[in-house]
Amino acid sequence: MTRPHSSARRSGRPAHAVRALLAGSAVLVLSACEGGAIGANTPVSSGQSFVGASYSSTYFSPGSRPMAPDIHAKTLTGQKFSLAAERGDVVVLNFWGSWCSPCRREAPALAALATYFRKDPVRFVGDNVLDYTAAALAFERQFNVGYPSLNDQSEQVVLAFHSTVPPNAIPSTLVIDRTGHIAARVVGEASFQGLRALILKILAEKS
Amino acid sequence: MSNATLVSAIVLYAVAMLAYACDFAFGRRSSAAAARSKPERVATVALVGAAAGPDLSGHAFPADPADPSELADLDLDAVGGPSGSAGSAAAGSGSGQGAGVAAGALQGRARSRWPEGVWVRAAFALTCAGLALQLFAIATRGIAEHRVPWGNMYEFIAAITCAAVIVLVLASVRFRAYFTGLFVLLPVVLALAVDVVVIYTPVGALVPALQSYWIAIHVTGMIIAIGMYVFGAVVTVLYLLVARHERRVAAGEIPAAGGVLAQLPGSTLLDRLSYRTILFAFPAWTFAVIAGAIWADHAWGRYWGWDPKETWSFITWLVYAAYLHARATAGWRGRRAAYIQLFGFACLMFNLVGVNLWITGLHSYAGL
Amino acid sequence: MTLRLAGRQGRADAPAPSADQAGQADPDGPADPGQAGRVSRAGHGGQGVKGGVPFGLGGWLRWGWRQLTSMRTALVLLFLLALASIPGSVLPQEGIDPAAVSQYYAAHPALAPLLARLSGFDVFGAPWFAAIYLLLFTSLAGCVLPRAYRMARSARQPPPKAPRHIGRLPQATSFAAPAAPDQALGSAAGFLTKRRFRVRTGEGWVSAEKGYLHEVGNLLFHVALLGLLASVALGGLFGYKANKLLVEHQTFANTPAGLDVFRPGRLVTATDLQPFSITLRSFSARYVETGPQRGQPLEYNARLSYSASYGGRLRSYDLQVNHPLNVDGVQVFLIGHGYAPEFKVTDGTGRVVFDQPVPFIPLEQSGLTSAGVIKVPGASPRELGFAGVFLPTEVVTPAGTLASVFPAAWIPRVSLVSYAGNLGMNGGQPQSVYSLDTRHMHQLDVAPRPLAPGQSIVLPHGLGTLTFTGYVQWASLAITYDPGQMPALISALTALAGLILSFLVRRRRLFVRAVAGDAGGAVVEFGGLTRSDAAGGFEAEFAELAGEIMQTVGGFPAGAGQAAAGQVGDGGHAGGAASADDEVVLAEQEAASDDDQVALAGQRESE
Repeated sequence: MTRPHSSARRSGRPAHAVRALLAGSAVLVLSACEGGAIGANTPVSSGQSFVGASYSSTYFSPGSRPMAPDIHAKTLTGQKFSLAAERGDVVVLNFWGSWCSPCRREAPALAALATYFRKDPVRFVGDNVLDYTAAALAFERQFNVGYPSLNDQSEQVVLAFHSTVPPNAIPSTLVIDRTGHIAARVVGEASFQGLRALILKILAEKS
Repeated sequence: MSNATLVSAIVLYAVAMLAYACDFAFGRRSSAAAARSKPERVATVALVGAAAGPDLSGHAFPADPADPSELADLDLDAVGGPSGSAGSAAAGSGSGQGAGVAAGALQGRARSRWPEGVWVRAAFALTCAGLALQLFAIATRGIAEHRVPWGNMYEFIAAITCAAVIVLVLASVRFRAYFTGLFVLLPVVLALAVDVVVIYTPVGALVPALQSYWIAIHVTGMIIAIGMYVFGAVVTVLYLLVARHERRVAAGEIPAAGGVLAQLPGSTLLDRLSYRTILFAFPAWTFAVIAGAIWADHAWGRYWGWDPKETWSFITWLVYAAYLHARATAGWRGRRAAYIQLFGFACLMFNLVGVNLWITGLHSYAGL
Repeated sequence: MTLRLAGRQGRADAPAPSADQAGQADPDGPADPGQAGRVSRAGHGGQGVKGGVPFGLGGWLRWGWRQLTSMRTALVLLFLLALASIPGSVLPQEGIDPAAVSQYYAAHPALAPLLARLSGFDVFGAPWFAAIYLLLFTSLAGCVLPRAYRMARSARQPPPKAPRHIGRLPQATSFAAPAAPDQALGSAAGFLTKRRFRVRTGEGWVSAEKGYLHEVGNLLFHVALLGLLASVALGGLFGYKANKLLVEHQTFANTPAGLDVFRPGRLVTATDLQPFSITLRSFSARYVETGPQRGQPLEYNARLSYSASYGGRLRSYDLQVNHPLNVDGVQVFLIGHGYAPEFKVTDGTGRVVFDQPVPFIPLEQSGLTSAGVIKVPGASPRELGFAGVFLPTEVVTPAGTLASVFPAAWIPRVSLVSYAGNLGMNGGQPQSVYSLDTRHMHQLDVAPRPLAPGQSIVLPHGLGTLTFTGYVQWASLAITYDPGQMPALISALTALAGLILSFLVRRRRLFVRAVAGDAGGAVVEFGGLTRSDAAGGFEAEFAELAGEIMQTVGGFPAGAGQAAAGQVGDGGHAGGAASADDEVVLAEQEAASDDDQVALAGQRESE
């Protein structure tokens, strides 16, 4: 190590040593220098057909469930729908889009689940987000989706859940219990087993 | 019409350069006589300090680059020329300065601000005339376009060179730095020539991204700061040359008198002139960068996005900040600081030219 | 050329007692652009280390800290930061232009992964970059904060004693006064006090000081830089940035699902997003139609409706490039635009399985030739895919290629290549909506030809029909929320103000001495100096003050060489050595740290 009383010229080197020591602690919480600039005329869009967070499945215990918002919307075929009218049934609300690859992969499972629970007080409703009618209806035909989907091209149904349990990704699924409270959320692709277990659990609850 | 006026301005600058050069060749240098005559000019008040010319050097902190007495009157004639500054550079200029300052302090300016010597007067007049023409050219272009006339590279370079000449004129009058005329006009003329011949673009409208009142604030600030940086860089180059000349004279390699360099003021003075220029330029640059950030936030949604131009402005800022820090650090004043400043200027030039030409980013408006 | 540096020799350590503590207050310390003279301590190992070698952990830490907060380290770090920024401007950066990064990978397949490991494509988020600026700011804080404390303390201290040889100061004058010395001093002190100098009197002398704003400005500048860093951190933690490409007549809500790109700060969650919705009612662009700048955009206008919350009131807004929308504290900017041609696809079974606009991305700006893909996974019996270009003003070049010569849609045409097979979307792997994976598809034998609106491609083997039904435009929006934005602005402006203040204001000291004169009055000596006169003008101020003091005291100028001058000045300039008193007095024991010391030492240079 150089002697510290050496001439001015050499003080750069000790500074380097100090720097090396501190460099290890330099990875801080600061994301101060993230880029974020955008080209003036070209969009920067990931254009991903799957948006959002990684997979998660959350079950809310009965005391801590937020109330689901009141949803009034039209289905893809033009019929009116009201979430409040479904009170008394478990409602499985699945957010999807025909452009979304994981949605396409989970579609058979959801269709099968709908069939599985057809004799139970469980209502499956889809919410077709950021999509167009022709392609959405083609999706329903293709995967034999037996339940209606809401036309949510303007994303307002998604927004309705913003302050309670927002669906952070497409696909997501919310399960609303019989009293109209949000009981569970699956972010990402739902599996037949996982979602069935959730629904059964919520179904078994006393109202 | 604007173009013709600009070309005329270039011609005038070129002729002014010639006149400055002639001043160096033929002008009278009466510096030593003038310095000696100073104490006699003191009228009423006894100046203890003034009488103690050589001794004052010990207390005038002559080597302190930020010393006020040295900064006061950067008059060519007040310094005993390079022969005075060669041997004990600081002391010589210190004494001359001390005397001159003391005289000036209590009497107001004992000497006129205006240049002496026919050639310098002619050169300065030509410079001013050229500047007037250039301003006219820029103004008419702005009127023709119904907007502030700096929206593309051509206009920007014209504005920067104009700013540099304005700084030259101001410095000449305020600091009597007429000797810088030739050396500042040289890059100005070259840049304008290239601008007019190669980079010329006709009058046109602004792209939407530039349609904002911020253009008057941010780009104007940049132009002013760059004009000052240009002047500072020229003076720094002169400083390095004169310093080297003095070293060689001191080492006995070449005679003290003769040549252009011998007629320039001492290196210390040049050093301080350049420092003073940067002291003005740095806040101006800081302001321009901040204004740019505000405008960027307004237009693009973020005040800093590491766009190449933003990054290089930041780099330039850092290097000039390093220069200012160097001035306050032992062992780094003088030549090292000068090199830092020139490095900063190189970054600035790359920012202006290189980033536009070779790196694409949000600032690529010129089509260039 | 060597500049003689005042004060390097000798006096540096004299008033500085225990160097250990003094070492903390390193005079080589904070960045001080306008000031001179951190000369002597730099590089001298005498402080805090006995005999030049630090021993013990404490010694090393102290030494390390002093190195970190020294001016030289600041210099080095400034340079390093500048150097470190260079690759960030030369290499494409992920956060700015991911497409360019991909292109770089393609162009430099061997070099690119290596650069990526070194964070070459994310320089400004790289840990080594952060290390540099964090060190710089630590150095800055370590200098500035103690110095601010010292300044606060010394601001209350009285000015130093007047030096014995006032004649030695850079500005000095003397005159005779009819009043007695004490009286003369009294009126001088009164005058200076009125002029808002801080005055201190003593035996036969008066000393005055002014201009603390210089140091205040300097410290303000550096502290404001710290504030700037904090503001940036605030934004980085609690702010977010997002992008959305919005087609005409389309609506979206500010949710992670609805945004195309969402970059939250570290502490941002989905529920923190402000719940606004925006509809693009229409988009229009105007271009220069004639002249040499034909095709250059003149104006973009995105007419929006928006509501700030779910079910909230709808408002209108014309979004333009320099005219952002502010909704609920979030700012929305118009940053790009393009075309979205509309297609209707009828599949082999005769059903309409696709009927919507598809955003195409511009490839170049002068004609807005755009490229895009259409994916029809709902088609039977085979999934269909199309890829091609949209030309707003289509011409056929002499070489036979298609080009667009004007960005407005005067002659809109689309030309597509058709594919059938498996798009790969059912496998669950996310795909970009702008790229078509043709690995499991085969190209159909339909020659691409430019379609006008209304025209169709009939696919072979009864696979279906695609009709180009028209076009709309899209706008791309940048959505930013930055709680640190206003603090950053305030910090930046404060820094600028501090900078200007420190460059304009100078700290100056004036001294008056009076002794009894021969003729019964007093001979008054008046001198002054300033620490850093960046803006110049002290001599003028001094002259003015001298004149006024003379009037106040009722004096008249004494001629040069009078006996009085000899008395007062003590013939100090008759070659006497600098008196130690002067140095001590002028040096001013201001806590051993003030860089005043050197400048005011006034010691003789040793030649």
